[in-house]
Amino acid sequence: MAIDPLVYEYVANEENYPENAVIIEEGSNAYWVYVVLEGQVKVKKRTPNGMVTVNTLKEGAIFGEIAFFQEGEVTRTASVIADGPVQVGILDTERLITDWQMLSPQLKGLIMSLIKRLQEATKRTIAMVVEST
Amino acid sequence: MAKDKEKVPPPICLQYKSGDLIIKEGDYGISIYKIIDGKVRISTQSGNTEVNLATLGPGEFIGEMTFLTGSTEPRSASARALEDCELEVWHPTRLSKEYEEMPPILKYIANQALKRLMRMNKAIGELIAKRAEIKGLAQKDLQASQRLFYRKEWDHECVYRPVGGSAKLRLLGRIKDISMSGIGLEVNATNRLNFSHQPGDEFFISTVLPNRKELDVTAKIVSIKSARAPGRLSMGMSFTDMTDEARKRLGFFLMP
Repeated sequence: MAIDPLVYEYVANEENYPENAVIIEEGSNAYWVYVVLEGQVKVKKRTPNGMVTVNTLKEGAIFGEIAFFQEGEVTRTASVIADGPVQVGILDTERLITDWQMLSPQLKGLIMSLIKRLQEATKRTIAMVVEST
Repeated sequence: MAKDKEKVPPPICLQYKSGDLIIKEGDYGISIYKIIDGKVRISTQSGNTEVNLATLGPGEFIGEMTFLTGSTEPRSASARALEDCELEVWHPTRLSKEYEEMPPILKYIANQALKRLMRMNKAIGELIAKRAEIKGLAQKDLQASQRLFYRKEWDHECVYRPVGGSAKLRLLGRIKDISMSGIGLEVNATNRLNFSHQPGDEFFISTVLPNRKELDVTAKIVSIKSARAPGRLSMGMSFTDMTDEARKRLGFFLMP
């Protein structure tokens, strides 16, 4: 998937990671939003049965957005690990926040609700996968 | 601008009673619901199984998927009030213009989140259906091995009346155990004075399961003897009739 120019426009910084490098660590505090520019990453969550891969993200995929849209104390809900050498872009947080604050409370509420649902659905899927293994 | 605003229908507040269906899967609708008060369960039908996708509370939204996908597809899940609820209903025009015009990067991110959520929901549905299938197979095995019925001890009140008797009649009984095939009932011996309690006699039995769902069945007496408690009769009964719904409810209750 080619990177949408509109996403490039927001990339403030580029970072390269070797295979298996931890880009985001579950439980840590941060709210950068990333985009995969080259290569791919794995999204993993800790479970009683060890690490479970939730998703594999390819070029153009955004990650880290759950923490960005959360209110209050923010911790990473999953780890993101380089699946082979990967280049990621860090989006310009200030611009994102400015854009976000332009939205009406209604639309903000709707998007935050969506993000929360995604987070809960992910938790639930993992719980079920762990249970059945 | 002011003119545009006037065209948007104002939000309406709706009250729902516990158990009410708010959105039915497969129906068409475009409204967005915001939960003001109460809890709502989102579920979907996967095969014969009702799959609970989420429980939502105040501040959360229902129907937002239809809005965000801009789809004209029917509702992808049902929403039911788990308790008395108050919801604000928005007409989508209220937000659609703003959504169209919002910074493309946010739209890009929201769209990806939406796609991931849809994928997760699908995965949950498949996992639950698979689990139900395994359970179904296990139950079949149980039936094949005969008389290995899972019988659950359950001390619980019920009302019963003879089949063919007045529908207003309510005799009190106490359930002692229950399985998919029958029920053990303890009743006052005095009940026998007014109504026949012989092997073969058929009764309607009603009780309420712990999930507060009613269970209505028909069963006939197979054996009857004095219970250990004085003045009480103990009856072994086998079911003679049960609706599919009752079978489902009972099956759910008996699940280990």
